[in-house]
Amino acid sequence: MHKIAEVEIQHDIMVANRKLAKKNQKILDKSNVFAVDVLGAIGSGKTSLIENLIQKLDYPVAVIAGDVISKFDAGRFEKYNVPVVGLNTGKECHLDAHLVEHAFHDMPLDEVDVLFIENVGNLICPVDFDLGAHMRMVVISVSEGDDTVEKHPLIFKEADLVVINKVDIADAVGADQDKMVADVLKLNPDVQVIKTSLKTGKGFKEIINALEKARNE
Amino acid sequence: MHELSMADAIVKTVIEAAEKNDAIEVLEVTIEVGQMTLLNPEQIKFMVGVLSEDTILEGAKFHMEEVPIEIDCECGYKGKIGADDLDHYTPVLNCPECDERNFDIIAGRECNVKNIKIEKRDEDA
Repeated sequence: MHKIAEVEIQHDIMVANRKLAKKNQKILDKSNVFAVDVLGAIGSGKTSLIENLIQKLDYPVAVIAGDVISKFDAGRFEKYNVPVVGLNTGKECHLDAHLVEHAFHDMPLDEVDVLFIENVGNLICPVDFDLGAHMRMVVISVSEGDDTVEKHPLIFKEADLVVINKVDIADAVGADQDKMVADVLKLNPDVQVIKTSLKTGKGFKEIINALEKARNE
Repeated sequence: MHELSMADAIVKTVIEAAEKNDAIEVLEVTIEVGQMTLLNPEQIKFMVGVLSEDTILEGAKFHMEEVPIEIDCECGYKGKIGADDLDHYTPVLNCPECDERNFDIIAGRECNVKNIKIEKRDEDA
């Protein structure tokens, strides 16, 4: 004889990730590491921005480089002689707290002051997955179109710092950079928005100051 | 496509609970998906179906329940926020009471495996 039974589960997959993220932040805090989740689309300039920060910041920096496949970005960071862990997400389009915790095992956290976690190039999926970082920096470029912010509101709502990159080519690609700034502020009135060009160096000091301020808070 | 990782986690959660309860088959699964998540319930349903193949979950009926966004606003308003037709534009919504955005989201961000209906051997029979 068989019988039918109802079983209550109440297991929230999202909560499970958020719990792991909290655990990650505790690990980071214990080692006195300030972690930045760097989010943004493919080609927005996340990797180049982190490369520049590695060279300009005068305290120990490390990077977790998320890629769908390959260790291409991890290879770019290794050239600067900083601790780097490459994370392949395989079929996934975002890093999650569980994957990041694995990367901590291969990272000399006690020797690091600032950890950049370069997320997979995507403006949608990573939003749902807190990694335990202290700050979420979203990087977009004018070449993605000046309607990018309107089209992906949630990631900007959740951002602690927004970088609008490649402003040197805004005219060439017909993008209204001020509209992009206004769109971000409409969604998230208190967030700092910085217009940058890695080619000319515009906005770079402001990013360093913003990181410094957040780190000391 | 993070529906796949969600679906994978759902299948693992259900199988674990089913095995713990000595199920020989899972008949129904109810999952709550919050309006604030960037998840598409139909895609999750499809992928859970694919991942269930050759498990005790194969053939189970999946019920997807949408969870509306609820907020706890500084102005004192606590309750639902009308976002039915706005899809991913929900973050641009303001508190219906004070028209500001100084609120905590207390529901609408979940992907919750609520319950399952299983078939099991009746020990007393």
